[in-house]
Amino acid sequence: MFELIKVGTKIDFMGKMKYITFGSLVLCLISAYGILNKMNYGVDFRGGAEVQVKFAQSENLESVRGALDKAGFKGVSVQTIGDEKDNSVLIKVQADESELNQVTEGITKNLATAFTGNPASVEKVDIVGPKAGKELRSSAVQAMFWAILSIMIYIAVRFDFRYAPGTMVSIIHDLLLIGGILAFTGMEFSLQIVGALLALIGYSVNDTVVIYDRIREYETKNPEKSLIDNINDAVNDTLSRTIVTALATFIVCIAMYFLGGGAIKDFFFVLSVGVILGTYSTVYVAAGFVVLSDKFSKKNRAHSFNEAKNITN
Amino acid sequence: MKTSWWVRFSALLVFIVLSVLVLLPTVMKFDEKGSYPIKSKINLGLDLQGGLYMIMGIDFKKVYKDEVLTYARKIEAVLKDQEIVATPGTMDLSDLMDPKQVINFAKASDVEAAKKKIKEFYAGVIRITREEGTLLEVALSGTIKKQIEEQSVGKSIEVIRNRIDEFGVTEPEILAQGNDRIVVQLPGVRDIERAKELIGKTAKLEFKLVNDTVAPDVMMGWLDKAAKAGIVFKKGDRFSEYLKNMNEFLKADLPEGHELAFEKQANATTGVEANIPFVVESLPRITGDDLADARVQIDPQKNDPYVSMDFKTAGAKRFEETTGGNIGRRLAVILDGNVYSAPVIQAKIGGGSAQITLGGGANFNKTMGEARDLALVLRAGALPVQLDFLEQRTVGPNLGTDSIEKAKLASIVSCVLVFIFAVVYYRFSGAIAVLTLMLNVLFTMAILVALDATLTLPGIAGIALTVGMAIDGNIIIFEKIRDDVRSGISYAKAVQMGFDSALWTLLDANITTAAAGICLLNFGTGPIRGFAVTLLIGVAVTLYTAYSVSKIFFELYMNKNQGKSLSI
Repeated sequence: MFELIKVGTKIDFMGKMKYITFGSLVLCLISAYGILNKMNYGVDFRGGAEVQVKFAQSENLESVRGALDKAGFKGVSVQTIGDEKDNSVLIKVQADESELNQVTEGITKNLATAFTGNPASVEKVDIVGPKAGKELRSSAVQAMFWAILSIMIYIAVRFDFRYAPGTMVSIIHDLLLIGGILAFTGMEFSLQIVGALLALIGYSVNDTVVIYDRIREYETKNPEKSLIDNINDAVNDTLSRTIVTALATFIVCIAMYFLGGGAIKDFFFVLSVGVILGTYSTVYVAAGFVVLSDKFSKKNRAHSFNEAKNITN
Repeated sequence: MKTSWWVRFSALLVFIVLSVLVLLPTVMKFDEKGSYPIKSKINLGLDLQGGLYMIMGIDFKKVYKDEVLTYARKIEAVLKDQEIVATPGTMDLSDLMDPKQVINFAKASDVEAAKKKIKEFYAGVIRITREEGTLLEVALSGTIKKQIEEQSVGKSIEVIRNRIDEFGVTEPEILAQGNDRIVVQLPGVRDIERAKELIGKTAKLEFKLVNDTVAPDVMMGWLDKAAKAGIVFKKGDRFSEYLKNMNEFLKADLPEGHELAFEKQANATTGVEANIPFVVESLPRITGDDLADARVQIDPQKNDPYVSMDFKTAGAKRFEETTGGNIGRRLAVILDGNVYSAPVIQAKIGGGSAQITLGGGANFNKTMGEARDLALVLRAGALPVQLDFLEQRTVGPNLGTDSIEKAKLASIVSCVLVFIFAVVYYRFSGAIAVLTLMLNVLFTMAILVALDATLTLPGIAGIALTVGMAIDGNIIIFEKIRDDVRSGISYAKAVQMGFDSALWTLLDANITTAAAGICLLNFGTGPIRGFAVTLLIGVAVTLYTAYSVSKIFFELYMNKNQGKSLSI
């Protein structure tokens, strides 16, 4: 057998819980700060127009920006997109709802007069009015909320209420950290990213469920062992599967990231990072949180037990 | 082998054959007219084949505002026949959903007559909200507002569909979203700008009499005066907005009941656009509602295309009256507030038909295109309300082809990498896993075609991702088998136990993924929806292939070597 994780591996995952929890918490806080202050929202959420044009020959970005500035467009930003040889640029402008409809025409007309020897053709246009942007924002938040809620309910019903909070916390942990990475790298937060995040929620929970399943199995098989020991055993015994699955998914994401072309690059960036984070959070956040919520529910149980005793006395 | 195995194996074979049959038209690029019974091919999303996606919204506040003013004008026209002068005054916009329009009269006795007429013509449509001296305030009735709300979206969709059908788009999708949204998807449209223009056209046709008593230099003087006051038309402005400001500004100068309109004319040699002013009556003599049909015809002598129109009975009568009573005057054909042409009425035109000529002289194809669009818009009807573009996404056809090639290559590479990984790690069992993964892709594609779902770029990504995640099912089972083999259980027993204990884990894992997928489906716009669809199909197929199908192969193998060995 070819093994990545040697049989009998016993890493004391739960032993390092304290430091890891602290580290995760700090990272989450930094990420939350980044998301609130530094997030670069794309045209989908902010409203405005994004026009991708392809020039016949390569064109200087500054002169494109200059030409559009001069034509009176507001908030012009120009960047290259795709391969260098494509001569494609992405033009972003801000506009009011009433002007948005004429943006494409305005840009093509102005580029045609400014660069007579180098014709540009429009490849892709995304125009989102401020009203639609606002709605997309709220529907994105709603989608995430319902995804997390429905998964929590399923876990609570299928497993135990002690497991549900861990799932939720680990999902939120993943989302926060990826959000932080997006915010600090200045990557654009678009509809596609929301799609990737939702896919990631699915993946991360998938991972969590497998470990929870094993913890539950060990809890019934070895009730004499402490919960922490059972969790440690479960995590170690499923470690091989966790790593191999993560690797297989990661291979796909990386291949798609490098070869899939500009349109899905960001999507797979988020997934690649997310697979690594998801694996980490499954082991530490999701499994670790069971210990916490177990303590909490035991305390409650002990409390009600005492009350019951008092009544009989 | 047991009977149950044979049943499961036959079922698998049936699924494979069915999938191949469903996918054949897509793979072999069958012609739709061919004799092959299955016609459906894979639907490519807008992002892959190029096209136009937009969401349009109706602003009911604006609609009510326009509507109440229109009714005030109608009342004005009705009273004019009774020799009563009524002039629409200010509008009370304190409640935007219920604007109130003031109508002013010359004397108090006219108010009573007006009230009677309103009751006679507009009962149930207009309600009188205030009455003070020589003033009457009207607003729309609740019934009419409800009717507008209910019908706006439906009627707009009908009109848009008519226009698009004539434009010749295959499989357009025009859907209502709530009671104030319309989603339009036009896959494969090449000339996106023209399509957009066509859909958005309000196409309000009016015939108004021109007042030629105002000399051209007087008009030029007005324009100079307006320009000095800052009313100039800049590129990118809305022309209708400019026109409105202009008429407001010149209210005192214009003859009573008249307004200014422009004809846009491009100089044939210099190409410079100029606006030629006209003084026309405010109230139209005939409108687009009176039209029965419109079509393009070509003048055989000059070889110029023109649009010929047929009027409905009432419209034909009014047209005959108007032309008969105003011989020698000019009648302006006004489309969306702009003068198209203003021919001199030579004689009484009966028979209920008329023509609009389109400048001519310019490029024949261009004029022809314009004539065709005009006829189309006139025939298909005007949009009942103004639609605002809320969201618009277009993808050029080249970009789509480029994306599809790249995504295809990347998907194949990533699948092959996963296959290699599986075989290296799990040897023979890995090979079985690869086989189930391939079947997974086959089934997923076949279901996509069978469900008539749309494959988008993220959708392709979804299939690749499914492969990455589907192997998880195999891994869970294989790791379990490995565990059991290590603890000394026989191969045959280990395989059986592995499958049994992994079933629930597999179910849990995939149901939670599906939960996220369903949320994605409800959230998504076009492309993301495509991802959700492939993800959901992938999850369902994964459960079958990773568990049932690989079990079939494992049982076959274990049976062949009597459970003595397994390369895992």
